[in-house]
Amino acid sequence: MPHQVALTVRGPLRPGNEVEGALDTLQGVLSPGKGDFAALGSVHFARVFLLPGDDTLAVGPTLVYMADVDAPVEAHLRRLAELDDGALATVLACWAGYAEGDLAARVSWLCAHRVPAAATYVHQIGRDLDRVLAEAELRREISDYLDGQGWEDHTDVEVHRAVRGFVASRPDLTWALDAPAGTELLFRLRESTHAVGVLALALLALPVITPLLPAWALAIALREARDVPETEPADPAAVARLLAIEDQAVQNPFTAAGTIKQGMVRAVTMRTVLLGLDWACRHLYGHEDLAGVRSIHFARWVPVDDGRRMIFASSYDGSQESYMDDFIDRLAWGINAVFSNGEGFPATRLLVGGGARDEQAFKNYLRRHQLPSVWYSAYPTLSARNIDDDTRLRDGLRRDLGTRAAQEWLARI
Amino acid sequence: MSVQDTTTNALTTAGTPKGGRSRTALSAVLDTDEVQGLVARGYGRLPNAAFSLYTVTHAPSAQALLGGWADEVDTVGRRNAVAALDVALTAPGLLALGLPPAQLAGFAPAFVEGMVSPHRSRILGDTGENDPSTWAWGGPRSDAIHVVVLVYAASAEGLAERLAELDARTTGALRLIVRHDTDVLADREPFGFADGISQPRIADPTAAEPTDIPPGEFVLGYRNAYDQYTWRPLLPPSADPDGILPLDVEGSGARDLGRNGTYLVFRQLAQDVDGFWEFVRNRTASPGSDSGDDTGTAEHLAARMVGRWRSGAPLVLAPDHDDPTQRGRDFVYAPDLAGLACPRGAHIRRVNPRDSLEPVGSSRADVDRHRLLRRARSYTAPRPDNEGPSRGLHFLCLNANIARQYEFVQHTWINDPTFDGLRDDADPLLGPARERGRTFTVQARPVRHRHRNLPAFVRVRGGAYFFLPSRSALRYLATVN
Repeated sequence: MPHQVALTVRGPLRPGNEVEGALDTLQGVLSPGKGDFAALGSVHFARVFLLPGDDTLAVGPTLVYMADVDAPVEAHLRRLAELDDGALATVLACWAGYAEGDLAARVSWLCAHRVPAAATYVHQIGRDLDRVLAEAELRREISDYLDGQGWEDHTDVEVHRAVRGFVASRPDLTWALDAPAGTELLFRLRESTHAVGVLALALLALPVITPLLPAWALAIALREARDVPETEPADPAAVARLLAIEDQAVQNPFTAAGTIKQGMVRAVTMRTVLLGLDWACRHLYGHEDLAGVRSIHFARWVPVDDGRRMIFASSYDGSQESYMDDFIDRLAWGINAVFSNGEGFPATRLLVGGGARDEQAFKNYLRRHQLPSVWYSAYPTLSARNIDDDTRLRDGLRRDLGTRAAQEWLARI
Repeated sequence: MSVQDTTTNALTTAGTPKGGRSRTALSAVLDTDEVQGLVARGYGRLPNAAFSLYTVTHAPSAQALLGGWADEVDTVGRRNAVAALDVALTAPGLLALGLPPAQLAGFAPAFVEGMVSPHRSRILGDTGENDPSTWAWGGPRSDAIHVVVLVYAASAEGLAERLAELDARTTGALRLIVRHDTDVLADREPFGFADGISQPRIADPTAAEPTDIPPGEFVLGYRNAYDQYTWRPLLPPSADPDGILPLDVEGSGARDLGRNGTYLVFRQLAQDVDGFWEFVRNRTASPGSDSGDDTGTAEHLAARMVGRWRSGAPLVLAPDHDDPTQRGRDFVYAPDLAGLACPRGAHIRRVNPRDSLEPVGSSRADVDRHRLLRRARSYTAPRPDNEGPSRGLHFLCLNANIARQYEFVQHTWINDPTFDGLRDDADPLLGPARERGRTFTVQARPVRHRHRNLPAFVRVRGGAYFFLPSRSALRYLATVN
């Protein structure tokens, strides 16, 4: 099974582009699970959006393409470069110097404009798109099979066995009786090395870092005292543009950008926190749960402009109101550690206190920094919990179950 | 239909004594002479009520009316034994009275935008048959709603008198758009289920019980569930030179137009009572039983959809048959997380999930940030086609943060088809009809039962968001120009 890759491509706009009209057109023809994005294959979620320029950084507006795709990412880039017509191709043609080239030139343009993520969260590492869709189909088939007859006179164990028999009798479903393949060997080796390597380096660095901690805490506290949090609500017209595309599916996109606070202390803090976050996402949280929150499918933190700005992008279940409440109620410390290095964030105390816990200031902050995007979902009716349940259903088919396990298994249908 | 009760019982009508809280405790918490009475009570002792919706036709006269009402509205501290009056305004109503548009900015965005933006219609489920374009009032096709006057009375005659007086006084200032009569308050909502069983209680900080909700969840200018002050309209001192409004309790020096006020959500929900009972009868084999075990009967399916039996007894405590002795007893879902007694998608489990949401350990605290004070009354209205009366609920509720409370409950708990791990299950009573069909899943062993293609039993006929001002705010609004 391929692992998932958080692809980001960012490029400047060519002169005379009509990118806003092209994005509107793309939004208009967008169709969940179908259309240009689906044709690219192995795309879980994708989005394109305009990242406004920043005068103080002397950066103009850029067009950003993001996709959560299954490896190898090269195959995806090639299919993207092959797009010649259609609404998505028209949007991408707004990149300066992209569309003019032949296929090979476009692929190398895309590669040259890739931006690495500093941290990436995947709800279930290694569960590729084909598997998500196939397991959802498997659950539908099992569900319909169970609806087809009465089971009152059967025990849980007997029903489970009957379902196994049903699946075995269906040539199109027998794949489900085998364990899913693990992620690629090379990927696993890389990840294990990373898990151990970063931890070892951190332990080695500990004697050096620890004596510096009081000085760092003082430096942060001094800066926090000087920081100016934004308190104003977002511009209603800007919020209206965001709301126009929200709550069409079970999931929603969140895309935001902000400027990192000036200075070495903030820059080093940010890098360190992202390093830890990346490590935690890859080795602790890649199994259906981001620190207690089970409703996020994918998330990424992408520094741009030499680390002076950062883009955060995610795909999550439910409304933005419930998403923000999860942040406040469960993830405030983590959100603070990263985002308080951004200008305008609600006041924090020693990086992790306060901040997102100031409910309305935090919600205003997110709305102020949020960017509208054209966003695609390959499975718009499936919550992360639905997908997890589908996987457990499939996993339970490989052996006979005892009464209790059979009951739990049947409860997921 | 009800709906939305975020508390336990959803089908709610107005407050029974149980739902209320004693005046002594509330007076320790709120400015009792400032907060309108609806916050403290559902007027269970005033069983006759009518809700009148108006457009402002002459602002100065309307302002004079408000100024008069400031002295007459029922308040938390002043209870009238024979009649009560509460007044609330929409955002267009505030502008029509002369409030400068800049002063609207501090109100909740949902209130300022109103209930019928396309996005709001999506999250509230006001699509298809519920689309605001089909509404009798509050939608784009009806006259603008500016003011609602809620009148309650002990007797029908008393109500008629009050309404005649209201009509005389509003002439020349307000034009009546629609007057909603209500049923004489009973303890049943139109589907036949006991109502008004559980309401959140406002915490008294001097003697808080763990289940009580901080006053700032229901009244602006007090500490909310995050121990913070909910966003509210704070005006520069120059906007209130006479100092009619109280100062911002947070010490900014601003005048607080919001303090002691709150938001009133008003939705008219028509209930297809015959359709509901026909549905449960058609989907169950046996009509009923005399043996005392109602398992599998139409009554049982109806109870499973609601989460309570007709008497109000919760299924968690009375899984097999109605047991009126269990009515009103507090309960938790911990023994029934699987939903075998009370289905996970049952109405009362969605409007107040109590301890059942993941992560279960923090469910209570999470749920308590999404509570509503329900103030609904049912209605029976004749229909022109002589097909029998139309019945339903005037769903009213109060909350300080519309987005985090009312809209969250409506979107994330009532309408979301994936609530608590389900798949196509919106609320079995309130969920709007969907293209893919609506499912109600009854968890069971060995295999759950899916009721597919549920019709819609409730139709939204109108709605609007109102601001229920304090008496000071009413006086202030009477003077702006």
